[in-house]
Amino acid sequence: MEVEHESKREDDEHETLTLDPLSNQFANLNDLCFEFTSLQDLAFRGSWRSILDKIARARKLSLLQKPHEDLIYLAYSVLALTKLHRYTEAAEELDSMLDFDSPRYRYESYPEIYPNRCGSMVPFAIRWLNAEIPLKLGRRQESLDRLYVLLDFVRVRLRERESRGSELGFCVDVWRKREAFVVYSIASHHLSNKEFVVCLELIQGLVRQDSANAELLSRLGYVQVQVGDLEGAKSTFGEVERLMKEGNLGENEFRNLVGRNKALVYLIGKDYVSAVREYDECIERDPTDVVAINNKALCLMYLRDLSDSIKVLESALERVPTFALNEAIVVNLCSMYELAFVNHSEIKRTLSNWIARVAPDDFDSSSTRV
Amino acid sequence: MSAAATQGSHSLAFRVMRLCRPSFQIANPLRVDPLDLFVGEDIFDDSAAAAQIPRLLQQNHLTKPTESDLTYRHRFELRNPSDAMGLSGLLMLPQSFGAIYLGETFCSYISINNSSSFEVRDITIKAEIQTEKQRILLLDTSKSPVETIRAGGRYDFIVEHDVKELGAHTLVCTALYNDGEGEKKYLPQFFKFIVANPLSVRTKVRAVKENTFLEACLENHTKSNLYMDQVEFEPTQNWSVKVLKADEHHSETNFKNREIFKPPVLIRAGGGTHNYLYQLISSTPGSTQVKIDGSNVLGKLQITWRTNLGEPGRLQTQQILGSPITHKEIELQIVEVPSVIVLERPFLVRINLTNQTDQKMGPFQVCLQGDPSEERAVMINGLQAVVLPQLEASSSTEFILNLIAIRLGVQKIAGIKVLDARDNKIYDTLADLEIFVDSD
Repeated sequence: MEVEHESKREDDEHETLTLDPLSNQFANLNDLCFEFTSLQDLAFRGSWRSILDKIARARKLSLLQKPHEDLIYLAYSVLALTKLHRYTEAAEELDSMLDFDSPRYRYESYPEIYPNRCGSMVPFAIRWLNAEIPLKLGRRQESLDRLYVLLDFVRVRLRERESRGSELGFCVDVWRKREAFVVYSIASHHLSNKEFVVCLELIQGLVRQDSANAELLSRLGYVQVQVGDLEGAKSTFGEVERLMKEGNLGENEFRNLVGRNKALVYLIGKDYVSAVREYDECIERDPTDVVAINNKALCLMYLRDLSDSIKVLESALERVPTFALNEAIVVNLCSMYELAFVNHSEIKRTLSNWIARVAPDDFDSSSTRV
Repeated sequence: MSAAATQGSHSLAFRVMRLCRPSFQIANPLRVDPLDLFVGEDIFDDSAAAAQIPRLLQQNHLTKPTESDLTYRHRFELRNPSDAMGLSGLLMLPQSFGAIYLGETFCSYISINNSSSFEVRDITIKAEIQTEKQRILLLDTSKSPVETIRAGGRYDFIVEHDVKELGAHTLVCTALYNDGEGEKKYLPQFFKFIVANPLSVRTKVRAVKENTFLEACLENHTKSNLYMDQVEFEPTQNWSVKVLKADEHHSETNFKNREIFKPPVLIRAGGGTHNYLYQLISSTPGSTQVKIDGSNVLGKLQITWRTNLGEPGRLQTQQILGSPITHKEIELQIVEVPSVIVLERPFLVRINLTNQTDQKMGPFQVCLQGDPSEERAVMINGLQAVVLPQLEASSSTEFILNLIAIRLGVQKIAGIKVLDARDNKIYDTLADLEIFVDSD
């Protein structure tokens, strides 16, 4: 018996070694962080309040053993608080940290926990949230300043790794994505403030670096349409279509992107019938395409068919609630209710009650204007 | 958005919603890439981590969730960095009436609801716009009334009207119908709005040498940025026009040199301005000014713009005037000047003298006159005065003047006047002309 037991243990050691030659840390997700899968599961369900409870409990009972876990839990805490519009508390959490570049947050400061590992253990999302929070507290310029500083930070890191050569391929990709992510965040703030020319320039800069990105080009087109530059938009959408044909981006997702762009061109030309036709094709390919569903409903309204436009949105909420439950769709539906019914408060209240049961914690319930 | 029904209990009520073009939803998504959240930012420096961790995550967030996915992960996980822009292409209905400006099109969805529990019959619906000056009928079903609207039912229509007047406007919706008890009822409802001026145009006309330039400054008084589609000057018959634009410093080549990205001309909301410059070329050859007494009509500006999602607007200015022309009796004009003028070497200039009156005039004397203390760069060579005989009414003659330049570089031919030979009355001064004096 003893002999058997021993050999089994040897086998286990063998398995662990082949999984990760460096250390024991990456066998599964929970090894990366205490009860990580549970955190992730709550986040997927949008149960941000439960996440805060879980974090509070872990901290109170000192369940987090390693410094990087503290940071990850802090990141989730700030994210949850921000999603729940509790901005002051989110800011306080961030303020409780030291300078992000402090040695306290570096792997090499804890060689007994992280042998052979060096670098910053701060999750990048913390830096980004730190830049976004001032805007939520009414200090827009400060957010923009922090985002531009963050962009510089990312670019320095990116160049460092690019110069180190090919063994850091995945790493370089990650920092490139972070660079794009920060630029897009900046662009979204300019868009919210209707600073369209700046936004167009930012996107142009991104297009120059990444000219085969159909999603990016489509967004350029949307800004051009929003602004009224219809000729520019048409040529941009034409380029997206060309990319799809040449690059064989045949998946339904790209077909739908091109289809929605086509529908948009019809819409701005007031050919709502053709727009509806394009949107129908998109919905047929992908019944979860809520942008197509929503925009189709609007076209029906412009075609004087308020009843059907309401039906399209209500049916989407019924059929694919986790996709269709989106603040903008709810606002549109309520605008339609207000037009269609003299006594619209009752129907809006029914909608509001359903939302309260089904929606994630971060859903903005003021969308129903009840 | 609707006014409450007027007195009496009505089965019907109008609900009205302005239907200008929709806008894109601009969200602030608060979505993150999981690789930015649950590991340290530098962990992928380690190639083992780079190999293992994404596999663990199975990069699920990079694939589109299917219908069977009943989570809200798409509100949390970022799939594509461009998702962070918050511009998914989702459109939103206009949330308020907003402002309405001259030159735009007013469009509205009108719904008549029967909120009673009885059917309503023979409904004659009218919709019209009333302003200070006029009433414009938009809809009238009196020739074929709507037969019935059931209890809880609706009748919908969309009206459009090009706004051509400023000030107070009222959309008047009326319904004449037989209610559930067979009583004839009349329901009027009024929706007021004010039309404001979107743009102000300031123009300046300048004559520089032989050219006339028109500078137009457009100021945006609206609450949105205006995309200037076209700002064209339509001249009167006597003129042709050329638009002058600044040189493009950089041509943004986009899409691999296939297209050139032209930054759009957008005039900022609430006071932004943009200037346009036109050169006006007279279509009657040989003269730079139209010889019409009094004012000089140049033409007008046609302006078309677009706001969100291409909502169009158009305006025309009133006639733009140049400076009034003073009628000259006797006129001196340069006809020909040599292309090369050398320092201290005499050169010939051909000049036209016109008698615009209806009487014989002259004889004349042409000489250089002016401030004696001023040292002229260009002098008359030889005889300091040229005598010209009388000229018949409405006729002209040409003569040659011999000049010499005594200074290098850009100089002016100035101070040449035509006088009456007898009483030295000055009729006209030749307009200053710039020349370039070369060295030998």
